[in-house]
Amino acid sequence: MLESDFQERNRFFLNMGPQHPSTHGVLLIVLEMSGEYVLDPQPVLGFVHRMHEKMAESRPCVGFMPNTARMDYVCALPYNHGYVSLIERKAGIEVPKRAEYIRVITSELNRVASHLLWLGAYLLDLGAFTPILYGFDDREHILDILEDITGSRLTYCYYRFGGVSRDIDDKFVASTRAFIKRLRERFVIYEKLVTKNIIFIKRTENIGVVSPDMALRYGMTGPNLRGSGIAYDVRKNEPYSVYPEFDFEIPVGSQGDCLDRYMVRIREMEQSLRIIEQALDRLPEGPVRAKVPKNIKLSPGDCNFAVEAARGELSYYLVGDGTSTPYRLKVRVPSYSNLSCLPELGRGILLPDLVSILGSFDLVIPEMDR
Amino acid sequence: MPPTTKIFKEDILFHEFNATETDYNQRGYHLEVALEVNQVRKFAQKAYDHGFYLVFVTGFHVLPEETEEGTTSGLNGVYQFARYDRLYRIKGHVSVPEDMSLPSICDIYQGANWHERETRDLYGVNFDGHPNLKPLLLSDEDQDFHPLLKEEENLKSLKEVSWSAEVPDSAEADEKDASE
Repeated sequence: MLESDFQERNRFFLNMGPQHPSTHGVLLIVLEMSGEYVLDPQPVLGFVHRMHEKMAESRPCVGFMPNTARMDYVCALPYNHGYVSLIERKAGIEVPKRAEYIRVITSELNRVASHLLWLGAYLLDLGAFTPILYGFDDREHILDILEDITGSRLTYCYYRFGGVSRDIDDKFVASTRAFIKRLRERFVIYEKLVTKNIIFIKRTENIGVVSPDMALRYGMTGPNLRGSGIAYDVRKNEPYSVYPEFDFEIPVGSQGDCLDRYMVRIREMEQSLRIIEQALDRLPEGPVRAKVPKNIKLSPGDCNFAVEAARGELSYYLVGDGTSTPYRLKVRVPSYSNLSCLPELGRGILLPDLVSILGSFDLVIPEMDR
Repeated sequence: MPPTTKIFKEDILFHEFNATETDYNQRGYHLEVALEVNQVRKFAQKAYDHGFYLVFVTGFHVLPEETEEGTTSGLNGVYQFARYDRLYRIKGHVSVPEDMSLPSICDIYQGANWHERETRDLYGVNFDGHPNLKPLLLSDEDQDFHPLLKEEENLKSLKEVSWSAEVPDSAEADEKDASE
């Protein structure tokens, strides 16, 4: 009785965010606390809500391209990829092989950049300052490579219906190969610096365990799901673009804790490098853009296209009405479903563990709020 | 590579619903299920029992129609499920009745909680049995503002936006503005 009395008297509410460094953006989590324990964490979304779906309904489908990069700005190219593929499926546009290869190479580079940013930011959350300097150093190389061909460093709008906006050159191939070599050497440093660090392991092992059933009930996807041991990756399960032509593995964890999610992402970067290497080796010659009508008509009916973004399954669901403007465009973003398990996962844990869980989820807030 | 066609013929999971097999390469999902309001929860339970995860819940707004039972609200609920272990994507859709409410499925799929709150925000559909149907993406002051509801003049009938609609032949116009 005494103990529960004490708990009752020590019950209070704490606003974590919207200006909290470990929420990585404007996310508010209202925590019901008892001492240092979290009783009920309730995320409050919508601080950066821009109603992208309404914007899609109010302009011809080509005008929505720049919006796709402004949802998940950390890993924007898969968002480009999903959207152009959706319209290509709807309008029946064939894409030249070389363009698909370039899409895969740049998407995978972007995925690696996203994971590197996550790596630095996550360890910063856990109190390690050094890794973010290493991570950003490597990421900078990718941004430079992508800037050269796409023209932007973050919010890319590089893909076009039927191809990509410009061809890659020898400089791109050479610098990408050099980067792969460099990053493989850096993985050794990361492993020594982070993966075997005892403090890091204590902060992540057996923390935030997501069971396979829980993942299914919340519709989790991406590395967060694979950490729980389910080998679901849209690139393998629902092959799109030229991914079936490459040999790569889907890393999975066993426990579903923060450490597993960490390991999955680290190993996923190695697999992405493998894909890029194979794609560069086999890069076909030819055009990078098909002939498509300027004004693409979206035939009546609905259509879905899913791709694997850095954080999980990204689904675009389109309803056309015969004009060039979508009648309805739904964007299913991975972080949204991934975070929705927090009220269940975060019940009864310590506040520092909640910070560890949030970091391991690799959230991008503008993506959830759309 | 997992099989992409003829899944439904071997699989009689959803035979009790009004389900039609669709062309995956054209639409990106395998099965379309037309639901009645009272079937929604049964459908979700069946999907859960057979290992489907919830992809999303959303809505879309069309012109209200006159039916034998009365006028529909014009709103449609859309549910999409998929599987982790193989390529199988299903879409369920249901016409929202005039009282603007659908049964909530968030005790079956807890992940539906936020999706249903979002649908209420954007379309004003109420979900009966939802534990916490407060605004999620929009602010509290915008309780009665539903941005994705279309204005009267932009509404099209369900027939006009479904696959069976007839497309006016515009191939000639397209060829004219074909670009490099």
